[in-house]
Amino acid sequence: MITNYVVTGMTCGHCVNHVTEEVSAIPGVTEVKVEQAGPMTVSSDTAIDFGTIEEAVAEAGDYKVALA
Amino acid sequence: MTLGTTDGAPTSLESPARQIIELDVQGMTCASCAARIEKKLSKLDGVQASVNYATEKAHVVAPAGLTADDLIATVQAAGYDAALPVPEAKPRDRAAEIKRRLIVSATLAVPVIAMAMIPPLQFPGWQWVSLALATPVVTWAAWPFHRSTLVNLRHGAATMDTLISLGTSAAYLWSLVALIFGNAGMIGMTHRWTLSLSHDHQLTSIYFEAAVGIITFILLGRYIEARSRQDASSALRALAEVGAKSVTVLRGGAEVTVPIEKLVVDDEFVVRPGEKIATDGVVVSGDSAIDNSVITGESLPVDVHPGSAVVGASVNTTGRLVVRATAVGADTQLAQIAHLVELAQTGKSRSQALADKISGVFVPIVIALALITLVVWLVLGESATFAVTAAVSVLIISCPCALGLATPTALLAGSLRGSQLGILIRGPEALEEAHRIQVIALDKTGTITAGQMSLDSVVPAPGADADEVLRLAATLESASEHPIARAIVEASHATTEQLEDFSNIPGRGVRARVHDRPAAAGNAALMSDQGWAIPDELSQAAADAAKRGASTVFVGRAGTVIGLVAVTDKIDPNAAAAVGALHELGLRTVMVTGDNQAAAEYVAAQVGIDGVRADVLPGDKFNVVTELQAGGTVPVAMVGDGVNDAAALSQADLGIAMGSGTDAAIAASDLTLMRHDLMLAADAIRLSRRTLNTIRGNLFWAFIYNVCAIPIAALGYLNPMFAGAAMAFSSVFVVTNSLRLRTWSPKH
Repeated sequence: MITNYVVTGMTCGHCVNHVTEEVSAIPGVTEVKVEQAGPMTVSSDTAIDFGTIEEAVAEAGDYKVALA
Repeated sequence: MTLGTTDGAPTSLESPARQIIELDVQGMTCASCAARIEKKLSKLDGVQASVNYATEKAHVVAPAGLTADDLIATVQAAGYDAALPVPEAKPRDRAAEIKRRLIVSATLAVPVIAMAMIPPLQFPGWQWVSLALATPVVTWAAWPFHRSTLVNLRHGAATMDTLISLGTSAAYLWSLVALIFGNAGMIGMTHRWTLSLSHDHQLTSIYFEAAVGIITFILLGRYIEARSRQDASSALRALAEVGAKSVTVLRGGAEVTVPIEKLVVDDEFVVRPGEKIATDGVVVSGDSAIDNSVITGESLPVDVHPGSAVVGASVNTTGRLVVRATAVGADTQLAQIAHLVELAQTGKSRSQALADKISGVFVPIVIALALITLVVWLVLGESATFAVTAAVSVLIISCPCALGLATPTALLAGSLRGSQLGILIRGPEALEEAHRIQVIALDKTGTITAGQMSLDSVVPAPGADADEVLRLAATLESASEHPIARAIVEASHATTEQLEDFSNIPGRGVRARVHDRPAAAGNAALMSDQGWAIPDELSQAAADAAKRGASTVFVGRAGTVIGLVAVTDKIDPNAAAAVGALHELGLRTVMVTGDNQAAAEYVAAQVGIDGVRADVLPGDKFNVVTELQAGGTVPVAMVGDGVNDAAALSQADLGIAMGSGTDAAIAASDLTLMRHDLMLAADAIRLSRRTLNTIRGNLFWAFIYNVCAIPIAALGYLNPMFAGAAMAFSSVFVVTNSLRLRTWSPKH
């Protein structure tokens, strides 16, 4: 399944990598696409708890995530 | 956190099991990169890390078991790179290196040129001696040109070095071929002054003198240039000198003096009157006024109380303070300024030198002409030897000997004239920038104003006497060291009277008994503390003074406020004329100041400045310059004098430092004015523009003789005498043209 999110606070390509890296590390996530402007698309086998996503994004840095 | 150790080692952070590791971090592009690395490092067991994006440094407190390599691996895993800091390498002494090559080159070139140009000196076998003398010049002395040519070739660029390398190599190799395979090597061969249009001199001429002459002249030019250019890294050294070297730390109630490096965040340290504040911090106890002028250039001290933030390297004036350190080392404001200077200087792309620009076009044309010459002669049925001779001659004659002198001699003459007038020019880039700039930003304090407090006006209350007001003010303030106090004391020539029970009320003023009556001088709050009413006339006068940017001191005695004294940082008498001169040069003037809008506009109107940027925090001047540059489309000059101006001066396309300013400002600037006179800034820009025009003229004269000689070479008539004559004429012209700068005078 594919879920869309919006991430705010990313200022450069590194930020995109940080977020991608952390969200990809969530068990069950198969593919993550992040754009600097904000949109994030997460493909996963099963539904991922939003809290888990939130945690991963916070881990990546000073960013906020919301469901698109 | 520090437990009374007296050796200066903070116990909590440097216990045996822990270590501090500093790393240089590369690849960070924004502040979140720093946060990211910090997070990754801190995840390691027992590691505390702080990463500074601006200084590109990581400060890591790690358990003894971890090595720097572990930390570096962690940073690399996060997608960045890190390394242990390398002690700053001593900058290579470019001037000395060029000097060595120049001396060798000149020593060997003199006999080669003399033999080639003066036929009586052409003893049997002279050409072989020339070869021996010329070889080290063309190979070793000219090596920097060859190396630069190869580097440029890789990205398809041609510079002045390409032209030099090409011309001298062609001359040398051709001569070598002529010596070995032609007639030139015959013992007894001489050069004749001949303009005969015969084609029979193929492979009989040698051009060693052209090669060594060009190399020597160019090296001479480069040497002059290297010498006149100050070392850019001296800016940073000057900044480092500004800070305090040692600090008195409170440890377990005792005062211990330790080197500044031992200070850690949260240490409390003592600053006595007159001392430099060791690092950025917050006042814990004590009241004083802080002279920030070294950082901000602002002359008026700032009153500080417990809770006030203070900046390292500023000077404590009146009272003893205890300060808690909030930032040390690379995190301090001073270090950040130093880093900004560094960033701005490395980011400043050296504007491509004019000679290089011309060469970039000239070199391909010359090569094309040489090829055309070769092909045309072959098509016309000439011998291959002749065709090659003509083609190579084109290459040989193409490099103007005076090329290397065009810029340095003009720069030297312009600089000499400038230094007579009190203007120091950093290098040729400064001249080109001076020509381009459209906007000039002027730091108010110390540029438009004198930079120190002096008496503005004395306003007596109705019925009081102005002299009396000033005398009482001076009497009261004579015991204070505050610059406002000093300005008042200086302005009053009357002898001061006896003071009793003097007390300094921080942030308010001073109080004492004079002739057994209570007297006070200070702000409105002090008067109301005393219960003394300020007459409306004086309140109005104080408000007017504030609009002009002046500071007022009310003076009262025995229950009555008898008047006020206003002091101000006076506008320089020449400022208006200087601003007019800058406008005449077609520049838009912008004043930058930390003053409020009204006071700033008052000063700007007085001197006729176009634009005002008021309420600018000391660290924001850099941003103002960046904003004025409008993304690099508008070349901006900046005039300033404080350490805090250093970053702005570096960022500006043309940084102009007032010589009365700090070393750091001077080191960060392109032009330095030796007198406190804004008119010199206009003169400096005018002289720079004039010098640049001279350089342009010189380049024209340097090239024109050689350009004229190219057809002769292409036709196959070039001989060493022609080449020598072109060299001599253009050199003489260029030097003479440059010397005219020495009589330049600013017209006002």
